[in-house]
Formats: sequence, C-alpha cells, structure tokens
Amino acid sequence: MRPEPINEMLLVKYLLGDLSEDEQVRVEDRAFADADYRRALDAAEADLIDAYVRGELLPVERRAFERRFLISPQRRKKVAFARDLAIVAAEAKAAESETFIRLSAWQTLVRFVRGWNPALQFAAGLAALIVVAGASLLAFQYAGMRSRVAVLETQRHNLETRTEELQRQLGEEQARAGNLAAEVRQQQTAGVTPPQSLIASLLLLPGLSRSESRREQLVLNPSTQIAHIEIQLEPRDDYPRFRAELRTIGGDEVLIRGNLPRRAATSGYTVSVDVPASALAMGQYELALKGILNDQSLQDVGYYYFSVQKQ
Amino acid sequence: MRSEKWSLTQEAFNGLLASLAPDRDVAARRYLEVRKNLVRLFEWRGCSTPEEYADEAINRCAKKIGEGEQIRDVATYCIGIARMLLLEMSRERPKEARSLDQAPEPHTLPTEPGTDPERGVECLRRCLAELSPENRDLILNYYQGDKGEKIKNRKGLTELFGIPANTLRMRALRLREKLQLCAENCIQQPETMPS
Repeated sequence: MRPEPINEMLLVKYLLGDLSEDEQVRVEDRAFADADYRRALDAAEADLIDAYVRGELLPVERRAFERRFLISPQRRKKVAFARDLAIVAAEAKAAESETFIRLSAWQTLVRFVRGWNPALQFAAGLAALIVVAGASLLAFQYAGMRSRVAVLETQRHNLETRTEELQRQLGEEQARAGNLAAEVRQQQTAGVTPPQSLIASLLLLPGLSRSESRREQLVLNPSTQIAHIEIQLEPRDDYPRFRAELRTIGGDEVLIRGNLPRRAATSGYTVSVDVPASALAMGQYELALKGILNDQSLQDVGYYYFSVQKQ
Repeated sequence: MRSEKWSLTQEAFNGLLASLAPDRDVAARRYLEVRKNLVRLFEWRGCSTPEEYADEAINRCAKKIGEGEQIRDVATYCIGIARMLLLEMSRERPKEARSLDQAPEPHTLPTEPGTDPERGVECLRRCLAELSPENRDLILNYYQGDKGEKIKNRKGLTELFGIPANTLRMRALRLREKLQLCAENCIQQPETMPS
C-alpha cells in the first residue's frame, strides 16, 4: 500500500499548536510509527524556525511560535542556532556574489572572442601565445633581481609595520585608559547603568519582600525578553513542588506556574519562575507562592511584592 | 504535572527493563528510544521541561509495572501516560496564554543567560570549515535567502546534485543537526583566540 502523502501545512499547524487534540494525536502516532514522517516533521520544524528568525511569520504565527518554541531550553538552542546559520549563510552569499561578478567579467571576454570567425580566433590565440611566451621569458630574467630587491623591501616593510603596530597599540591603550577613567568618573557621579540584558533578574528574599511594606523593583529595558524571578525559601518550606501565582496588585491574574521544583543554592533552597517580559506592564505585582503537598492540596508559603519599571 | 511521592527504585527500573525486552542490552536500547520519543512529544507540544515530563511518564509506567500490571506495549503505554500529563499541563495553560495574547509583541530573540551571541556565530564558522566543500556548499545554499529565493536555491541544488527534493531535504537536515551539535560543543569549550 502506498503511504499517505505528507501534508506540510498540517505539520506546520501541528508545530504551532493549531490542531485539535485528535489531529495532534494522529500526527504524533504517525510520527512514532513512520521514521520518514518523523524526519519530515523535524525538517518542517527547522524551516519554521528559520522563517521565524528571518521574520517571515505572520503575527499570529509568530505569537504561537514564541509560546511553543521559546519556552524550553532545547528549542531556544535550536532558535539560536538558526539565527547563527542565517548570519553565516548571508555572509557566504555576499562572498559568492563577489566571486560571481569577477567570473562574469571573464565570461564576457570569452563570449566576445567566441563571436569571431575561426581564422581570427586562431590568429588571436597564436598572438596571445607569443605574448605569454615573451612575457614569461622577461619575467624569468627579472625574477632573480626582483627577489633580491623584494627581500630588502620586505625587511623594511616589516620594520615599518611593527613600528605602526606598536604606535597603534599605544594609542589604543591610552584611549582605553581614558575611557575607563571617564566611566569610573561617570559611575561615581551618576551611579551605575545596568547592562542591556535580554534577561532581567529579581531575587525575592523571605521576610523582606513577603511583606507589603517593602517592594523589590524589577527593571525591564526595551531589549528584555524574560524576567527571571528567584524566590529564596526558608528551611521550613520543604514542599516537593511549588506553585507560583503572579497577579497585579489590583488582582488581575498575569501568570500561573505549577509544579515548580525547588533547587539547592549556596544559601539554601530557591524556586524560580521565568515570566515573558511582554506579560509585564509597569506597576505593582503580587507573587503568591504555594507549596504543593503530596495529596495535591496547596499551602501558602508567602506573598511577595515587587514593582516593575520599564526603561 | 502531578507530583508523586513515589520515586523510581532500582527494582522498579529493573521491572521496566524486563517489560521492554528479556535481554538487558536490548531493553536498555529500547528504554532510551522510549525516553527519546517522550522527550520529542513533550517538546512538540511546547512543554517547558520536556525531559522532566518524560521521566515522570516513565516513572508512572514503572510504578504500574511494579504494582503487577501487565503491560504488553510499554512504549505505547508511556505515550498514553504522556498524553494524560499533557492534559494536566493544559489545564493550567489557558490563563497564561490569554495574558500573552494581550501583551505587546517581543521584538528580539532571547539568548541564554551568560552566552555571547558572537561566540555562536564564530563556533558555527569553525564547524562549517570542518565540513567537506560539497556539504558546506549544500547547507549554506539550502538554508540561504528569503522565501522565494530559498525555493529557487533548493530547486537549483536538486538539479546540481541530481537527487530528488526530499532526499536533498533530509541530507540538509542531517548536516544541520550535525552542525548544531558541533557548534553547541564548541560553545561549551573554553574560548580560544581566533587564529
């Protein structure tokens, strides 16, 4: 029996989470049973990631992609790789175009000569041969003399280059020292400017941010993509899993993350939540952390308060 | 994912292996295959921690075997458990999705903390240099250009190599996976001065 043809659109819809549960199950079952279909799904995934990094997806596809692909570290690596591949492929294309232009000039000459009649072509060929032979003889005679001059020339050039290099390095060092001094002065007078990171971090400590009286601040710059919130636990908070509920101070739910594991850190245990920066507007937030007991019931661990500032 | 008090014991793991195949080596290979498929499934479905969920599915399967349940096809059974886990996961998702839909659009790609984007490109250049010229040309041309240009490039490549489009696609995919692995290994290594 001939295998059912592969529907590329269906694969893309599956990867973007745009199919019903039944359709998703059908795609998966076929992928597990048929290695070719599975590889087609892998290839569709690679093309979809490429389309994303090249900005070729529609807004609705892009949102779906980001929800499905920027969430796990494995897929984020694939996206980062695709971005690098696009850069390197573009570089190769630019280099290729340069070679093509050089080749084109040569091909134009060849085409021009081919337009001549055979006798003229023969005469031109013979003339070219005589010119080449004569030039080679002259070149051979001059080669010895030139090589001696070249050695002296190279030595002089090396000395000049070395002097220039040393002067350049000295200039760079002086400029760097000047910049550093200026930066230090600037930091002393105006405070330190935070680096433009794609990830903004916030550490919430027990006892401090658990009370409403003190608010930690999360600063998001325009390039921030993810807010990494780490909550320091107290020794008594030894639940197997945690649930974090993030809401605005007005009570509007922003995000809920369940089954968060606690992780050992140098100063005890922590729980971390990654929140897409796009989900956070400027304002005050409450993060409710709950411990999940083995019977799935929830127990309050603490309420943490922080504000979001956008630069 | 529901948190279980039960955790995988050596005995339960042995039981799971025995259910996969009588020969321990064969069983170990099948176990790895089952786990790989589970990780794939959770990744396809957009789960944030596919490996963790895959292990949870295997643990639940091993627990059932330990309790004396006769499972004829462990791989299919594990996929069934995985789908139950996905349902549990989806119950928590709608709220999150709604808030993101309403949120402004991000404009740049995220990068892993502590990684230098330039380093990835540099590593990829090095890995490309290790490929044969034919394979290097193939992958660069295959993934080069925007939509229309890409289609044209790929058609040209099928003619150049004299192979069907699907064969070319799979060859490019294998090379891409090989390159990604090479670049990731390179990024992990301590940085050296470019020659």
